[in-house]
Amino acid sequence: MDIQRILILLGKEARLGATNFMSIYVLVMPVVLSLLIALVFGDLLAQTPRLGIYDASDSQQFIQPLLDHPSINTTLYGSEDALTRAVERGAEEIGLSLPAGFAEAMRSDSAQVDFTVYRWGEAGVRNLLLLESAVGRAMAEGIGSGIDQLPIGVNAEQLGSANNLTWSQRLLPLLLIMSIVLGGLFIPATSLIDERQKHTLIALTTTPATLLDVYLSKTLMGFILSALMAVIILLLNGAFAGHIALLLLVIALGGLMSSVFGIILGSVSKDMDTFMGIIKAAGILLYAPGILKIFPQVPEWIGRIFPTYYLMSPLLEVTQNGAGFADIFIDIAVMVVLAAALLILLNSVIGRQQQKLALET
Amino acid sequence: MLSVEDLSYTYPGGTEAVRGIDFTIEKGEIFGFLGPSGAGKSTTQKVLIRLLRGFQGHVTVLGKPLNEWDDSYYEQVGVAFELPNHYQKLTATENLALFRSLYSGETHDPANLLEMVGLEEDADTRLSQFSKGMQMRLNFVRALLHKPDLLFLDEPTTGLDPVNGQKIKEIIRAQKEAGRTIFLTTHDMTVADQICDRVAFIIDGKITLIDSPRNLRLQHGERRVRVEFHRDGLSSPAQQAEFPLDGLGDNSEFLEVLRNNPIETIHTQEATLEDIFIETTGRTLT
Repeated sequence: MDIQRILILLGKEARLGATNFMSIYVLVMPVVLSLLIALVFGDLLAQTPRLGIYDASDSQQFIQPLLDHPSINTTLYGSEDALTRAVERGAEEIGLSLPAGFAEAMRSDSAQVDFTVYRWGEAGVRNLLLLESAVGRAMAEGIGSGIDQLPIGVNAEQLGSANNLTWSQRLLPLLLIMSIVLGGLFIPATSLIDERQKHTLIALTTTPATLLDVYLSKTLMGFILSALMAVIILLLNGAFAGHIALLLLVIALGGLMSSVFGIILGSVSKDMDTFMGIIKAAGILLYAPGILKIFPQVPEWIGRIFPTYYLMSPLLEVTQNGAGFADIFIDIAVMVVLAAALLILLNSVIGRQQQKLALET
Repeated sequence: MLSVEDLSYTYPGGTEAVRGIDFTIEKGEIFGFLGPSGAGKSTTQKVLIRLLRGFQGHVTVLGKPLNEWDDSYYEQVGVAFELPNHYQKLTATENLALFRSLYSGETHDPANLLEMVGLEEDADTRLSQFSKGMQMRLNFVRALLHKPDLLFLDEPTTGLDPVNGQKIKEIIRAQKEAGRTIFLTTHDMTVADQICDRVAFIIDGKITLIDSPRNLRLQHGERRVRVEFHRDGLSSPAQQAEFPLDGLGDNSEFLEVLRNNPIETIHTQEATLEDIFIETTGRTLT
């Protein structure tokens, strides 16, 4: 193995891949789908958190900071009915109903003040967190206390659909699997098959570059594309959040699994038609956890049958639920075991490939 | 430079492609390996360029047993395949530059190599726009990139027009003059006859004959000369007569033909390599 030669071959992969239809397809497809989903379900173009307020008396000093807040859309409603209807249909993600005497009670510093918060059932976790934090801060500033010392009691009420995932959040797992698996699997596999069919692979292996160097450069290309696409898709969907180092670790493991699996598939596929046949027949198994996630009523354990579940699940846990290492340790362990098994298999495949290449020439 | 002793190779399916062949190649020699399709010449070459492992016998290349070489072998060995195998989306210069960057030793400037085979004006043309002949020429010079000591050339003139075929043969001779050793696999007897110092005939996995083309021609040819002439002037049909080479200067009949008739051709009757191949193997090269 020679690092310099691997980098040279990686440069070649990037150069040739840039004009390859399959590369363009696997890179553009998830991005286009992301944009389409965002356009259809509105999350990308209307990501600003939406807050509705009904003020039964004069609580202007608490409301004004929310009206002036640059990152949230705040609307005032003339009645509690109007506010609840707006939250129920999703026009507002959170509805704040401030009762008569709210401001006075807050200032009196004597007793707890109760008020009602309506939450739209399909509101995203990220927007809810932003809104709740903004409301808490506005109230704390209004009476000059810390958020922890606020003398308030909140009656939370959920309105609208009981499902707390937006369509864009439901489709995100599928998009993530597509981006990581497509980029990681397709590029090394198709590139290897193409080089074998055009006999450039045999030309490379009669230079000081070894078959291992060639395989590693292709695997690395798949890994880089896969990781890059995962980050792009998460950013496009506003989900590049949570513990970033952990997120990158999961993406890296997913990219490694996909690209190694891709190069193995490329090695065992006789030609491009065989490879496409395998993908058509078995590709559904790769995407299955993402498809199942669209339907929250499907039991979670079914997804666990498929290896890509262990990539998708920790990604969602970190980005949507703010999970830490301890929460996703098992998923990561499964991914490490799968990646190790694939690397052992790859080693055996490379050993047999040299002979196969000579026979094909 | 290269020594092969009792080399055998059996494919995984059980086909015995090479059966105990022996030969040596000296430094600076052009060695032709001739045989029809399926005779075992490609298998032998694949073993010698380390594509096929698991052979039986002893092979020593550049002073070291073949199975003790690692991938540094290719720093000293150049390989040109029978079929072009380039990156079609890259230009000729880019293809050579890519392969050049994989070698750690001294290399040729791609521009000089392209000029050598008349491709300088197509240096920046994508390979997808090259004809087969142009790709073959590029195939050939790619093997020379890193100034290897030993060259394996598989049918280097296939698909080339006579002018470019001649150019390639001249370059091969120049490589020999520069001290390089060349192992040439071909079924083109004319090419072998013109440039090889020695040739080996291989058939059914066995070498049937090894010698220089000249010796073979002399040993297997007839020591006669054939004259074609017009007995009654140029308008008459050409006639042929054959005379023994020995004592030709004193052969009155031969001298009479020369003096009194317009001569069309005179040829000695040594055998061609193809004749010798057919005679010794009972097979043709097709």
